[in-house]
Amino acid sequence: MSLDENKSGPLVTMRNISKRFGGVKALTQVDLDAYAGEVLAIVGDNGAGKSTLIKILTGVYQPTEGEIFVAGKKLVMNSHSDAIDEGIDAVYQTLALADHLDPASNMFLGNELTRSFLGITMLDNKKMRSETERVLFERLGVRLRSLDVPTSSLSGGQRQAVAIARAVYHEGLRVLVMDEPTAALGPQETARTLKLIKALKEQGLAVILISHSLDDVFEVADRVHVQRRGRCAGVVHISQCTQQDVLALIVGAEEAA
Amino acid sequence: MATATQTDGPTKFSDRIEPFLAIVGPMVMILAILLFMGVAEPARYFRLSNLNLILLDAALYMPMAMAMTFVITQRGIDLSIGSVAALTSIIMAFLIKQYGFSAPVAIAVALVLGALFGLINGLVITKFKVPDLIGTLAMDLVYRGFALVIAKGLVLARFPEIMTDIGRGQIPGFIPVPVVIGLLTMALGYWLLKKTYFGRYTVAIGSNPEAAEMTGIAVDRYKIYAYVLMGASAALAGIMLTGKLNAIQATSAPYFNLHVIAAVVVGGTSLFGGRASMLGSLAGVLLLSMMINALVTLRIEFFWQSVASGVVIVASVALYTWLQKKDRDGAKGFLAGLKTPESIRLLRLSGGLVAALALLLLIGTLFAGAPVASG
Repeated sequence: MSLDENKSGPLVTMRNISKRFGGVKALTQVDLDAYAGEVLAIVGDNGAGKSTLIKILTGVYQPTEGEIFVAGKKLVMNSHSDAIDEGIDAVYQTLALADHLDPASNMFLGNELTRSFLGITMLDNKKMRSETERVLFERLGVRLRSLDVPTSSLSGGQRQAVAIARAVYHEGLRVLVMDEPTAALGPQETARTLKLIKALKEQGLAVILISHSLDDVFEVADRVHVQRRGRCAGVVHISQCTQQDVLALIVGAEEAA
Repeated sequence: MATATQTDGPTKFSDRIEPFLAIVGPMVMILAILLFMGVAEPARYFRLSNLNLILLDAALYMPMAMAMTFVITQRGIDLSIGSVAALTSIIMAFLIKQYGFSAPVAIAVALVLGALFGLINGLVITKFKVPDLIGTLAMDLVYRGFALVIAKGLVLARFPEIMTDIGRGQIPGFIPVPVVIGLLTMALGYWLLKKTYFGRYTVAIGSNPEAAEMTGIAVDRYKIYAYVLMGASAALAGIMLTGKLNAIQATSAPYFNLHVIAAVVVGGTSLFGGRASMLGSLAGVLLLSMMINALVTLRIEFFWQSVASGVVIVASVALYTWLQKKDRDGAKGFLAGLKTPESIRLLRLSGGLVAALALLLLIGTLFAGAPVASG
């Protein structure tokens, strides 16, 4: 299943992942591979196990069975911060932004830069601002006209960029999971967010995109991992199939036929 | 590396002046009072000694308004500050008068006790999950009860000079000592808000509690810090009040809560969290003191102050809520926002309320008995 252009092998490998919540089987023996410099889309109906799968990858849930390898190293993660230490982070649909704070404060929220003056530690707002400006432009190609405004006054795409910038500021970031990034956006903002995703891919990150929109998926993804009823219903290359094929996998039409 | 450049951003004038809007509201009202008093009673209102009185009154509320700005920004409220002030100063007074403690030591004890009471409030709210409104209202009864138990009906009076210096001392040719103390606490608050983890996380918690939790902020801990600061500030206000009156009793400082909350809210700090304005709180404190002083100067009965404070609170919260809703609905400009059907209904309602208030005012002045000396 490996791509020709990725002879080095997958960056992320999940093998035989199962997850049970009490008697409910959320995932049954799912395999997943994600490559550096690639966008892997995960699609599927509600309750197909997409969220559970990525929550296991980001350390929020622990798998009942199965193993996770990143760059060949087996990982045991007990919390989301363990995943961040391993270079795996996620941007959630809600973005987790404090709307009243400016973009720089949001980007460094919980991870502020400080300086010492007369032995008193205080926030280094100037440094955080310049770092935010730099990361937004160099990594995401976004330049805000003003960094002095509350985040609530930014557009949906710009807010997304701030949330992504928070994740990519971590130097060791290798895998970025994006949960429904375009769900709440208009067409123009969606196009911008998809551009951001392409930029991240070109920078060598493995991007895992969860989306309900097959249009978006066919716009940016290289491969599609289809979940159905807790199992992997198939992995297809975008270049070798149509939206109809993917849709058939999602609803299980091929099995029925 | 840049593959896409997005340069369109918010450049609207309203976005840029947004941080200063909070200060504009109280400033306009302060100007209105100045204008009105300039016509009605210029000679007595603008006397230097009267301006000094206004500042002296405002100074008392500055430390509490500073701390309350943090509490309210975190979507909290503290209704126990009057009782905390009374209880800590009663204990301080007893330490000085009955047990011969030196005043500085007793003052330090009062401040530590205030912080401790704040800590108790914070723990009740974060650990026992008692809603802040009920929690601090109940603790208000507890602290007031203790103050009454300790002091009974006693009025403790005549303290060492250092106390009266704190409460009403005057720096020759300059402003009163308590005003210096008050302004210093406001400056400290401004610094805490802009330059420390505490200030940053306070805004984050009030703005989006879930996001604050997700980014690893210890939400409960920073909430407790705010209540500790509130308790210590209330104790400081109690000390300043004791010094100002050179006397204290268990029933002192009954209206601290609402007065301070009014000042903070008038200053543009949002009761719904996330929006803090330390400068606005300072302006709010000054505004309320000027308003009350104006009522006194116009020889309006003391009890009308309570009516005025209540009206100011309701009016300013309603106004700020309406402004926020207008922004959310995307109405362009102040006048356009007023012309929506809903706003017109609201205007009619407020017109009716103002009329009712005017009627009450009329009834009040007609039927109020002439002030008589009690006893």
